[in-house]
Amino acid sequence: MYRTALLRAARSAAQASSRVQRPAFQRAIQTPFIQPRISTPAFAISAVRCYASSSGLAQEEVTGRILDLLKNFDKVSDEASRLSPQSHFTNDLGLDSLDTVEVVMAIEEEFSIEIPDKEADAIHSVTQAVDYIMSQPDGNATKPSSPVQ
Amino acid sequence: MPNKLSGLQKDVLSLYRSCLRATRTKPAGTRPNFAAFARREFEKHVKMDKKDFGTIEFMLRKGRRQLEIYEQPGVTNIAG
Repeated sequence: MYRTALLRAARSAAQASSRVQRPAFQRAIQTPFIQPRISTPAFAISAVRCYASSSGLAQEEVTGRILDLLKNFDKVSDEASRLSPQSHFTNDLGLDSLDTVEVVMAIEEEFSIEIPDKEADAIHSVTQAVDYIMSQPDGNATKPSSPVQ
Repeated sequence: MPNKLSGLQKDVLSLYRSCLRATRTKPAGTRPNFAAFARREFEKHVKMDKKDFGTIEFMLRKGRRQLEIYEQPGVTNIAG
């Protein structure tokens, strides 16, 4: 609310440059360092742009993070040479079902999400894990980063 | 591990998952102990015949009750 009031004050100050209004405006904002901020509306717009342009995760990044995570997983470290973006947890990396659960939980922690049981049961390979992460709202698998209106 | 898991097998994995979730509520230092404990408890019966439904269901109930107990905030550490 305070910000809205400031912006409104700034706009009215910019429109009416009469000498009567100016001192009132300056009195309203007592700290001088705020003044350049509100007197240049471009700043506010660029801030909004920055916020929207923080696009989701790229597929390569997701794959990289999952592979790193697997590399540090003690049961995989012996099979590290067979680790690839196409690896199957059980067939290629020799993990049992409990290990698979652990890997999926580790992925949950890595990406700060919670994977429901049903989806978690369906993840058996690096590819499936990447696909799942990319299908989440923060992933941008199909659409390139589109600016939020 | 076959691709298709039976409902019972999924229940077991789901219990293991809840166990791992529960470890997150524990102090960071003792979390690995809890995870190792859960893993050990499951591995004790890893050779269980998957057709032995009665026993598996009994173990599941036992495991859930155990989880309830260890989940309590008063439990802060466990033999790792």
